[in-house]
Amino acid sequence: MISVKNLGFVYKDSKVAALDDINIEIADGDFVGITGASGAGKTTFTFALNGIIPQKIKGDFYGAVTIDGVDTAEHPAEEFARKVGEVFQDIDSQMVASVVEDEILFGLENFGVPHEEVGVRIDRVLRELGIEDLRDREIEGLSGGQKQKVAIASMLALEPEVIVLDEPTGELDPESSREIFKILTALNKEKGITVIIVEQKIMLLCEYVKHMMVLDKGKIAFYGTPRDMAASIDTFKDLGINVPRVTELSADLIREKIYDGEVTLTVDDAEKMVRRILK
Amino acid sequence: MNLLNYVPGDSFLHRLNPVTKLAAAFMYGIAAILCENVFAEALFIVVMILISATAGLFKRAVLLTGNLMILGLIMFVIQLLFVRDGSPLLVIGGVVLFTTGGLKSALLLSLRVIAAMLPLMLLFAITRMNDLCNALVKRLHLPYRYAFIVTTAFRFVPIFATEFHDIQDAQKARGVDFDTRNIFRKLGLIAPLCVPLLVSSLKKVDVSAMSAEMRGFELRGYKSGYKEYPFAARDMVTVLVLVVLIVATVVLKTIPK
Amino acid sequence: MIRFENVSFGYSEKRPILKDISFHIAKGDFVALIGANGAGKSTISRLTNGLLHPTGGRVYLGGKDTLKTPSSTLARGCGFLFQNPDRQICENTVKDEVAFSMKAQGWTEDRIKERTEQVLETFKLDPEWFPFSRSRGERQRIALAGVIACEPELLILDEPTTGLDYLECIRIMDYVTRLNEEKGVTALMVSHDMELVQSYAKSVIVLNHGEILGQGHTKEMMKNVDVLKKARVLPAQIPELALRFGDEFKDVFTIEEMLDALRGRVGKGGAL
Repeated sequence: MISVKNLGFVYKDSKVAALDDINIEIADGDFVGITGASGAGKTTFTFALNGIIPQKIKGDFYGAVTIDGVDTAEHPAEEFARKVGEVFQDIDSQMVASVVEDEILFGLENFGVPHEEVGVRIDRVLRELGIEDLRDREIEGLSGGQKQKVAIASMLALEPEVIVLDEPTGELDPESSREIFKILTALNKEKGITVIIVEQKIMLLCEYVKHMMVLDKGKIAFYGTPRDMAASIDTFKDLGINVPRVTELSADLIREKIYDGEVTLTVDDAEKMVRRILK
Repeated sequence: MNLLNYVPGDSFLHRLNPVTKLAAAFMYGIAAILCENVFAEALFIVVMILISATAGLFKRAVLLTGNLMILGLIMFVIQLLFVRDGSPLLVIGGVVLFTTGGLKSALLLSLRVIAAMLPLMLLFAITRMNDLCNALVKRLHLPYRYAFIVTTAFRFVPIFATEFHDIQDAQKARGVDFDTRNIFRKLGLIAPLCVPLLVSSLKKVDVSAMSAEMRGFELRGYKSGYKEYPFAARDMVTVLVLVVLIVATVVLKTIPK
Repeated sequence: MIRFENVSFGYSEKRPILKDISFHIAKGDFVALIGANGAGKSTISRLTNGLLHPTGGRVYLGGKDTLKTPSSTLARGCGFLFQNPDRQICENTVKDEVAFSMKAQGWTEDRIKERTEQVLETFKLDPEWFPFSRSRGERQRIALAGVIACEPELLILDEPTTGLDYLECIRIMDYVTRLNEEKGVTALMVSHDMELVQSYAKSVIVLNHGEILGQGHTKEMMKNVDVLKKARVLPAQIPELALRFGDEFKDVFTIEEMLDALRGRVGKGGAL
C-alpha cells in the first residue's frame, strides 16, 4: 500500500508549489488514473511515489510518502524502484540498451536476480506482453506502441507490486492506446499489480480504471470512481478535463428526466441506455 | 545507409568474443601503422575487405574504404606539400611544388590511415555495443560506469541526429532559408538551432540517467552481467595470427632492401 | 490550394510510404487527415510545404510545384504547427519567438512590432516570458502564435493537441476555427482524435498504409464504418452510438441531435 500524507513539493528555482498538501492512500491491487491540466503536478506526483522525489530531484519536500509502511525518504530510491516501477513520459530517453532483450536484462542484472532465474523471467514477460518476436530487435526501429510494451516488460521483469506510467499513450493511435490499457488491465486483474497511470484520454480512463484522481494546481481536486466523477461533469470542465461524449449525453438525459438510470461511461453502456429509453 | 550500425550475422567474425574483436581490430591497425611499404599497405586494405566479405560485409567494407579515402586524400595533400625529401617532381616558375620523397610519404601515410582505421570501423558492423561493453566489464573488469557512458553516447547519436533533423524541418517550415548556397549564411542560420537541440538533449540525458539509476545502475558490479563471454579456440587463433602479423611486419622492416 | 497528383513517396523501393495518391483541397476548407500511426499522414503534411519531395508525381501548393520552389518560399503563406513545440522554440523571450518567423520571412521592423503585439494580445501571452520554462500547453500556444503571426493562407497542424489538456486543446482549436471561418484560412490537420475531428473538421481524408480509403464530408465519413474499420480508427462516440441503431438515428452526429431524437421518442410515449 502507498500512503501519501501532507505531501508538498517545490522545485528548486521555482516559487510555485508543484504539489500542495496531498493526502491519499492507494491500496494494493488498485487501478488509478491520474488526470488534470498541464502543469497540474501529475508527473511530479508520480516521482514522489518511489522516492525519485526527494532523492533524485532537488527541491523542498514536505510531508511523507510510505510504501508498505517504509518512508521513501529514508532508504535509497533504488530499493523502492523495484517495488514501484515507473515508465517515464519520454519513452526513447529512458531506454538504456539498443536491443530489446538487453533492455529487459538491465534491471535484472543490476538488482542481482539469480542468473538461473533471469532467463525464465525474460521469457515470461515477453510472453505476457505478447512481444516474443521482438526479443532480438533493435529498439530504435520499433513503433511507439512496441516501445511502450518493451518499457512495461522491463519493469515487469523486476516483479514490482506497483507500475506507474506517465502518459504512455500520448503519441499512440487509438488502437495501440487501447491495447496498452488492455495489457495493464490484465496485469492488474491476473497478477494483482497496482497500476497508476497518468493519462489525458478520458474515454480510456472511464472504461478501464477503478479510481480517478484529478489534480489541479498541485492539489487533489477529485478522488473517486469514474462513475462518481462523471456524475459531476460540470465541475471538471473548468479544471481542463472533459468527460466522454456518451457521459455528457447521459447526464443531459437524466437532467431532462428522459432517463432515470446512472450516467454512462462507455458506448456499450450508452447503447443499453438508449435501448431502455426506446422500449 | 548508416555505415556504423550493427549487421546481425553468424559468421566466424561475428562469433568471436567482443574483446577479441576489439583487440584484433587494434592489432591489425598497429601492424598497418608499423608497415612502411606502400604495396604492403595497399595489401592490408584489400585483405581487410576480403576478411569482411567472409562476414557478408563486402559492400560495407568497400563503402567505408571509399569514405576513409576522403580522410586519406586530405592527409595525402598535406604530406605532399610539406615533405621536401628527394628530388623535385613538379616545379612551376622556379618554385618546387612537390618532391619524389613527398609523393612517396604522402601515398604511404594516406594508405596507412585507411588501413589502420578500416578494421575499427568494421568492428561496429560485427559487434553490438552492449556486448562490447558487457564483455569489457566481465572479462577485463573495466568499471561499468565508463562502459555504460560510452555505449550510451553511441546510442544517442542517431536519436540526436533525428532530433536535429526535425528541428531543422521546424525552422524551414518557418521560412528560414536553409537552401542558401552561401556557407557562412548557412552557418549563421544553423546557430540558433543549437538552442532547441541543447534544451532537448539536456532533458533526454536527465531522463536517461534517472531511468538507469532507478533500475539499479549504482548496484551493478562486474559480476552482474547475465551473458557470459567465454574465450574459445577461435579467439586464441585470431590473436595468434595477429601477433604473427605484427612480428612479421617488424621483421620485414629490419631486413635491408 | 493543395493538389496532389499521383504522388508516391518512400525512402526505399521496398517500403513505400505513399502509393500513387491524388487529392485536392479547396481554399477555405478545414480538412482532417486520419488513420493509424504509420498510415502516411505526417508524410502528406510534410510533402505539402516542401519539407519532403515526392518520389513520384507532383505536389502543388497554391499553384506552385513544390519540386521547383524552395521551401523558404513555400513557407510564406503556409504556417506549420508541429506536434512538439520544443523543436521550434529557440528564442529567449516570447516576443522574440513570435517575431522569429516574420523576421525570417523578411518583414519590416515596424510591421513585426505591430503584429507581435497584436498576436500576443490575442493569445494572452506575456511578451517577457522565458518560453522554455512554460508548461507544454503554453509552449504550444507560443508556437501557434509565432505561426499565425505571419498571416498564413494555409495552416498545417500535425497532431496539434498531443500532450495538451482539454482546455488548451479547445483554446487552440477554437482559434484555428475562427481563422478558418472569419479569414478563410485553409486548415489541414493531422489527428487521430476522432472527437476533435468530428467537432472541428469540415471534411476528412482517411488513410491506410499509404493509400486513400476515402475523402468526403466529416459527417459522411464518420458513418462509413467499413472505411473507418479498415483504417483502424474508431468513429467518434455519438456517431458510433447512433450507428448501432441502424437507420433509427441515421442523421444523428452530435449530443444535441441525439437529445432531440430521443426527446421526440419520449414525446410519443417512449420512456418513463
